[in-house]
Amino acid sequence: MPDQEKRSLEEKLRTIIQTVDVANAMTEPLTESIKNLLYLSARSMKSEEASVIIRDGDEGDLRFLSAIGQVADQLVGMKIPSGKGIAGFVFSSGQPMAVADVGQEESFYAEVDKTTGYSTQTILATPLRHNGEIIGVLEYVNRIGEPPFEAFTPIEMDKAALFAEAIASLVNAYESAKIFRELGEKMLTKDEEVNFNEVREWLKNLRSTAEHREMIDLALLVKEISNRGESERALCREIMESILRCSDAKSDTSFLSY
Amino acid sequence: MSSSIKITTEFDFFSPLVSDEGWKSGTGKGISVAIIDSGIDTDHPDLAGKIKESVEAQNDGKRVHFVTSESGDSAGHGTACAGIISSIANDAELYSIKVLGAQASGDGQAFLAGLEYAIKRKFRIINLSLGTTKPQFFAPLHDLLDRAYQAGCIVVAAANNLPQPSFPSVFSSSLISVSKVDESDPFHFGFRYGEVIELTAPGVNVRTTWLSGGYRSLTGNSFACPHIVGIIALLLETYPMLTPFQVKSVLYAIARKNQKETDLEK
Repeated sequence: MPDQEKRSLEEKLRTIIQTVDVANAMTEPLTESIKNLLYLSARSMKSEEASVIIRDGDEGDLRFLSAIGQVADQLVGMKIPSGKGIAGFVFSSGQPMAVADVGQEESFYAEVDKTTGYSTQTILATPLRHNGEIIGVLEYVNRIGEPPFEAFTPIEMDKAALFAEAIASLVNAYESAKIFRELGEKMLTKDEEVNFNEVREWLKNLRSTAEHREMIDLALLVKEISNRGESERALCREIMESILRCSDAKSDTSFLSY
Repeated sequence: MSSSIKITTEFDFFSPLVSDEGWKSGTGKGISVAIIDSGIDTDHPDLAGKIKESVEAQNDGKRVHFVTSESGDSAGHGTACAGIISSIANDAELYSIKVLGAQASGDGQAFLAGLEYAIKRKFRIINLSLGTTKPQFFAPLHDLLDRAYQAGCIVVAAANNLPQPSFPSVFSSSLISVSKVDESDPFHFGFRYGEVIELTAPGVNVRTTWLSGGYRSLTGNSFACPHIVGIIALLLETYPMLTPFQVKSVLYAIARKNQKETDLEK
């Protein structure tokens, strides 16, 4: 192998290793914490099967982000179409739900069990809310021991809502970290200067929430303006500060149904 | 834990009223009830003809206005509450004030404006199966609730399902706040004197109306609140002159009677 080619290969390998490290460093601690919280909360809910299901795109589709229990590995990554199943109901309505026997529940989405071979009998699902917005669903399935399983109680529903509060903060952090990780990968693998139009194009095609996309788009815009010069930076800051003052008087999503 | 003064007297100021159970056979006829929520599915067979008016919040950038709503219910939550009220007070006149959007959450300005609108219209009862934990709403809500009280509107609010204080449910004198219990008889509500949330009503697996003409079994303080609203509609039909303060006292007296009966059964 010629020397130059060897160096270039080394260079590429180093970049790949760097990128992978960044990727893990940003999202892995969060997914690990989510999983730990699932273990901890499931024990308190007298269950061994639990999962965190998050939004997948802006159309109401959902996907399993994290799971514990017998079929956890199969569940992670699996998708639930918009409005389907108990998770779909909880996600769209914001209402928690406990179903004593899913065999009696017409909205139960049997596809997930069909794929994993697991038998869901009783379930508790509660929304994951962050800043008033629903970002996913927390589910506990069946009980420790043998069937028939005791239904989840109203007290456990309230308890699950508390666990959901903690998990929702982590899920929100995960979603943000994931986007920045992808942006980081995009920037790191490029040798030449960042092409804002190209990054923006990637952002447009990103399957995530509009809110996150807008957030990065705005960050890119500010970065682009900052590159133009000192007077542009000063003007940009002034405009943004006045927007802040104006929106302080207004409020965001603050009122929730109980 | 209750930190209030222990009431030891058995004297019951309202016993003549409480012993009259005639009000229970009422239908809430002529009583206006505002439901500030996610809208109501007016096409639901159980609710057809019962929704007198549906309005929704429209923000023109400066102010929130209320215009006739054609958008129905965007989350199902308002329809569920309406179904519970009309299951108790079948002839109550329901007014939908839509301030919550998809996923049953909404913006604070719209909610405040919706409550103000309901007070200005002097609806007899206002159902609030919603709330906020954000402290910046304490003062404006407190002011509006006082105005409701002075206008004679009876405001009934659901407590937060999480153990955090929420507004307006934690205000005491100017409104009636409700949390859920596992109970099926709407007349068998409870009163926890001295607690922050005083009333308890059925709110576990409540079968009620849902979107697309359907039904759902729901659990939450949201669904305990409309039970009390339905009860108040019946009381007001028989005793139209009751003030918000008197309504609360009557509820307390009836709940005490309920409790005594339960204790006797044991």
